[in-house]
Amino acid sequence: MATESSMALPEFLGKAELLKQGAEARVYRAQFLGKPTIVKERFQKRYRHPVLDEKLTHRRTVQEVRSILRCRRAGISAPVVYFVDYTSHCIFLEEITGSSTVRDHITSCPEPELERIAERVGQILAKMHDEDVIHGDLTTSNMLLRRSPEDGESDLVLIDFGLSYISALPEDKGVDLYVLEKAFLSTHPNTEALFERLLKSYTASSKMSSAVIKKLDEVRLRGRKRSMVG
Amino acid sequence: MHSTQELELHPDHSVTQMLFKEVKNAVELRQKAVQGKINGALINPTMLVNPFQLLVAANKAVHLQKIGKMKTRSLYSEIIFNLSPTNNISEAFKRFGISDGDDSVLVVLVHNKDESQLLSDIAAKVDGRQVPVEDISSLSDAAKIKKLYKVTPQEETCGTLLDAVVCRMATKDVM
Repeated sequence: MATESSMALPEFLGKAELLKQGAEARVYRAQFLGKPTIVKERFQKRYRHPVLDEKLTHRRTVQEVRSILRCRRAGISAPVVYFVDYTSHCIFLEEITGSSTVRDHITSCPEPELERIAERVGQILAKMHDEDVIHGDLTTSNMLLRRSPEDGESDLVLIDFGLSYISALPEDKGVDLYVLEKAFLSTHPNTEALFERLLKSYTASSKMSSAVIKKLDEVRLRGRKRSMVG
Repeated sequence: MHSTQELELHPDHSVTQMLFKEVKNAVELRQKAVQGKINGALINPTMLVNPFQLLVAANKAVHLQKIGKMKTRSLYSEIIFNLSPTNNISEAFKRFGISDGDDSVLVVLVHNKDESQLLSDIAAKVDGRQVPVEDISSLSDAAKIKKLYKVTPQEETCGTLLDAVVCRMATKDVM
């Protein structure tokens, strides 16, 4: 019975379209139950001790899925989870169609539109941190703008919660913002003012922003990406 | 009328759904189901939003059956259990399974590709009028569903009710 199930999934993934291969996981696109789906497979890492690998991979899969649901409950757009296979550590998620990354927008859109986007990103991150969700990998490639057919203003969707976890610590939230700042400024040259606008919007929208911004300033001075605690 | 979807992860399995209204023998059907005489899951359609959530529930049930990790005793009871937002099995049956006073029922079958005989067998047992499965949305009690799944008002701004329900079904075991 176990071999039966372990043979169907590799075959399914073999026929699916591989979108990305990272150090942690492979991302595919496929049809699942009649819907366009993204499958994120956290494959086995043979350089790790197998018991440790299983524990780590399982924990990361669970954290990713919990963070997504927590965000959705707070009204933050994130892909819907359709199915989780804990034996192969695959997450089957809604494919966000008709969208482009914030990264692409920054390189192509006019200034006033960019300012609006920066404001909205600040707002959504404030909401996320107020829910004590740390994204862990904030970059402009992990934020999608999905065109809305009726309303006009597009929907800002956060994706790739692979390194996310739950934490109330301002330190962790500060580091989350620091990661974004580093990614932002290195990907988009001469956008310091735009990022400042993002932070202003964050400060205005978040209930606990002063502690977080204070930590962000501290982390900037340290010039490190990780918390020195534990 | 009925809808059939092949499970991509389990190619030898297909899921068929049949919806009936004006059902007159709910008492008899429920008894037969409890006795294990019905080769399908009998579900109360007022608690359902869309046929897609049945596919999600059935896919998970078949997967767990294959790895021997079902929480209930049969594939069909597992499908009903997967629909519920809680881990209480009897509560799931009470809320999502057919009750004596119901006048509509959704039948879910998991079968190999060519089992049209099964479908007509089950349809014969139901004393009611078969309607297109898509009609489920007209039977949904959205208010009851939102309350049971504890869907927040903010959540409705970033997705449909179906999105909220499916997400909870998929992540129930780790929340």
